[in-house]
Amino acid sequence: MNTGHPKTPTDKPAAGSNVAVCASNVTMDFSGFKAVNNASFELEAGKFLTILGPSGSGKTTLLQMIAGFLTPTSGEITINGKSVDAAPPHRRSIGMVFQKLALFPHMTAAQNVAFPLKMRRFNPKTIPNRVAQFLDLVKLGDYGARRVNELSGGQQQRVAIARALVFEPELLLLDEPLAALDVKLREEMQLEFRRIQHELGVTTINVTHDQREALVVSDDIIVMDSGKIQQQARPVEMYRAPDNPFVAGFLGMSSFLRGTACAGGLVVEGQRVAGTASAAIADGAPVCGAIRAEQIRIAASEAQLGDCDTRLSGVVRDAIFEGERQLYVVALNTAGEAEIRVYHHDPLTFGLFEIGAPVVLGWNTSDMKIFADGGAE
Amino acid sequence: MTSRSQRIVFWSLVWFSIIVLSLPTVIVLGASVTAGNIITFPPQGFSLKWYEQIAMARDLRQAFGRSIHVSLICLAVSVPVGTLAGIALTRFRLRFSSLIQVYLLLPFTIPLIGSGIGMMLLFGSWGILGSVWPLGVALAVINLPFIIWSVSSSAAALDGDLELAAASCGAGRIEAFLHVTLPGVMPGVITGGLLMFVLAMSEFLVSLLLTDARTVTLPVQIYNNIRSIITPDLAAVSSVFVVLALLAVWLLDRLVGLEIFLKSK
Ligand SMILES: Nc1ncnc2c1ncn2[C@@H]1O[C@H](COP(=O)(O)OP(=O)(O)O)[C@@H](O)[C@H]1O
Ligand SMILES: [Mg+2]
Repeated sequence: MNTGHPKTPTDKPAAGSNVAVCASNVTMDFSGFKAVNNASFELEAGKFLTILGPSGSGKTTLLQMIAGFLTPTSGEITINGKSVDAAPPHRRSIGMVFQKLALFPHMTAAQNVAFPLKMRRFNPKTIPNRVAQFLDLVKLGDYGARRVNELSGGQQQRVAIARALVFEPELLLLDEPLAALDVKLREEMQLEFRRIQHELGVTTINVTHDQREALVVSDDIIVMDSGKIQQQARPVEMYRAPDNPFVAGFLGMSSFLRGTACAGGLVVEGQRVAGTASAAIADGAPVCGAIRAEQIRIAASEAQLGDCDTRLSGVVRDAIFEGERQLYVVALNTAGEAEIRVYHHDPLTFGLFEIGAPVVLGWNTSDMKIFADGGAE
Repeated sequence: MTSRSQRIVFWSLVWFSIIVLSLPTVIVLGASVTAGNIITFPPQGFSLKWYEQIAMARDLRQAFGRSIHVSLICLAVSVPVGTLAGIALTRFRLRFSSLIQVYLLLPFTIPLIGSGIGMMLLFGSWGILGSVWPLGVALAVINLPFIIWSVSSSAAALDGDLELAAASCGAGRIEAFLHVTLPGVMPGVITGGLLMFVLAMSEFLVSLLLTDARTVTLPVQIYNNIRSIITPDLAAVSSVFVVLALLAVWLLDRLVGLEIFLKSK
């Protein structure tokens, strides 16, 4: 809600454990189909949270409930301690950048940025200064008089950000606004989001299906799949210690080995593979082992592997040159089809192994994560 | 790169179309400036006497005034209704949208003579046939689908989240409509409005059925004159029509830009 006395940009929320956004058991049921299923999370004030998930996982639905465009079927959302369920979107203090930006086409860049100030009854005398200040913030100081369709894609992004932030909302929501940009511009804008968010200290929830973006920009990541929150953690933690195979597969390049649990590992197609389970799993239960491609070393012989406490031999099935690294797909010497993907980063030995070459793989037991097999990958 | 022969074929087609489409207009324009007393092309000599004549002719002048009157009433009815309907059709998920699609095809399926006679009976029973305004309302009703099309194609081109964006900027529903949706569809409203105006100015069949000697509009008056004697003053009147239509196109270009109009289906 607009108080008429907005905070100044320097008035950052105090660091600490004050919760800005809290969702408890939020469900959105579209006549029988639960687009968001019992989602609960908390977000600290001033933090940058990214909701990461494949298309259709319910990210937009969750965001729209926070924005007030959808009313949860059940559950409650609070912003700065107050339940917002009864407040219509225009009475919430939430800035939003939309997937297709939704800039007002009949207005100039400056008019777009001024619009929320007019609607929220800011003192008209202060509006031009504030608009200029926020156009400067997004580095569009000289473009205020341009019509939106006279701006490039990246500049339009910046107008949308300025429009969402100019009234200094309690919360900023970003619904995949970068998805349509080309890679270079996208990476540039990711860093811009990061910079602006740091500068203003505004609590931010970003939605994306781009795992790299999630890792780059966020203080905190939530991974969603089929309407359910799979895990919430800091980027490094999430990457290091995925809670389940879905998270392991969605973040980074993982290989999955299916088998049955045994003491200290799992048995894959007759071959025992050492690994670490985060929860106790009964011997013989179906399990799934996941390991990231960059945590594996590859060599022609065991002697060349160096320190690794697990070694397995195999045959190169495919070798893919990706520029900064080489991806090998290695078929393990097991009774079946099990294969493992390995990143090889040494620029001096690119293309070392031909397809069909016998190789040895090595890794640390702690990097092979073992999960009860729920079938997801 | 196109080859030379392709270019020749292309430009021949273009010129052929331009000539065929503009020939009647050119002939009428030419015939209207004849100095002779019969309608011919090419004209004999040059004079503006027939324009003088129509400017002096009381019946034509009055009929022209009534046509403007009718067209303005048509606008006053069709612009608000068509704009709201066009927006509703594209921006909200409606329950009877397939029914509405059928309605939008009516101008091509129901012969005008049918709707004309229907309205004649209806207006007759209401006893309002002696005045000018019922014709304006009738033309608004008959041509309404055109402005609905124009507005809804303009509305469909807008980002689907525009109203949500307005709400997140703090605009309530009415503010969002006034400040965002309505200006967004303005090109379609202007295009549709001009179209309605030109259509109402030149509509003949329904006008014939709904007017009498006191309320004839310009197209009906021209028709009445043709039935007695064909003189070059009719060519002059037709030329005025053509100029009026060109004026509408020029206005359209100034207001919304022709590319937008050509892009809107
Ligand atoms: N209004 C709606 N009615 C019915 N189903 C919907 C509606 N909105 C979204 N869905 C469905 O909910 C699921 C999640 O959608 P969404 O939140 O847009 O996913 P995401 O943003 O992660 O791609 C999708 O399967 C979508 O088809
Ligand atoms: Mg989405």
